[in-house]
Amino acid sequence: MSKMVLALVSSGMEKLTAGGIMLSGAVAQDMEVKIFLLLGGAYAFRKGTAENMKEVGDFQQAKDQFLAGLQKANVPYWLDFYKKAKGMGKVTIYLCGTAGKIWGSDKLEDYVDIVDTVCGIGEYISSAEEADLSITL
Amino acid sequence: MTEEELKELHADKVVDARGTSCPGPLLAAKRSITEVSIGGIMELLSSDTGTKRDIPRWAEKMGHGFLGVIDEAGYSRIFVKRTK
Repeated sequence: MSKMVLALVSSGMEKLTAGGIMLSGAVAQDMEVKIFLLLGGAYAFRKGTAENMKEVGDFQQAKDQFLAGLQKANVPYWLDFYKKAKGMGKVTIYLCGTAGKIWGSDKLEDYVDIVDTVCGIGEYISSAEEADLSITL
Repeated sequence: MTEEELKELHADKVVDARGTSCPGPLLAAKRSITEVSIGGIMELLSSDTGTKRDIPRWAEKMGHGFLGVIDEAGYSRIFVKRTK
């Protein structure tokens, strides 16, 4: 089984959506995927935030077009990609403990229930080193 | 297979993923191929253009047989044989 590491650094919806699509492609090919929520990624997966996280990061000028395009193309809400992938393949989601502290909590119960565990940066580095494919968004 | 040969095929399972964008049809294929017996044929209906290129690569990687595509108005019929 080949391995992919996906590091989510941004809370921008366009990157979270892109990550969800890449994750889905990897799961479809039976890859083991480890997702690391770093800084903005941790922010996006907080309970109370994740359910309605519709801010874009890089292209504010096209936000309305982007949101309308998602709807027109029948693209799921970004969080749904991650929930679905968890149910279809070997996917583990790690919360960076420092990122959690920055946003006020490094306790799992404060994040959506698909987040599996809290980790340090060493785990991310060693996982990325061992992976066949490593992507940062 | 030729389009004429594909039209003669009887699919053991038809998966209608029309209206969903990538990766919807791909995930539908992954989920549904397990519902076909080994040696059986899955027919995937997709209106997503990229899926026509995705499924042959996915089938090859997963060890299944990609049989071909029939283009219809607004969608494609994609045939995969489960081989393992």
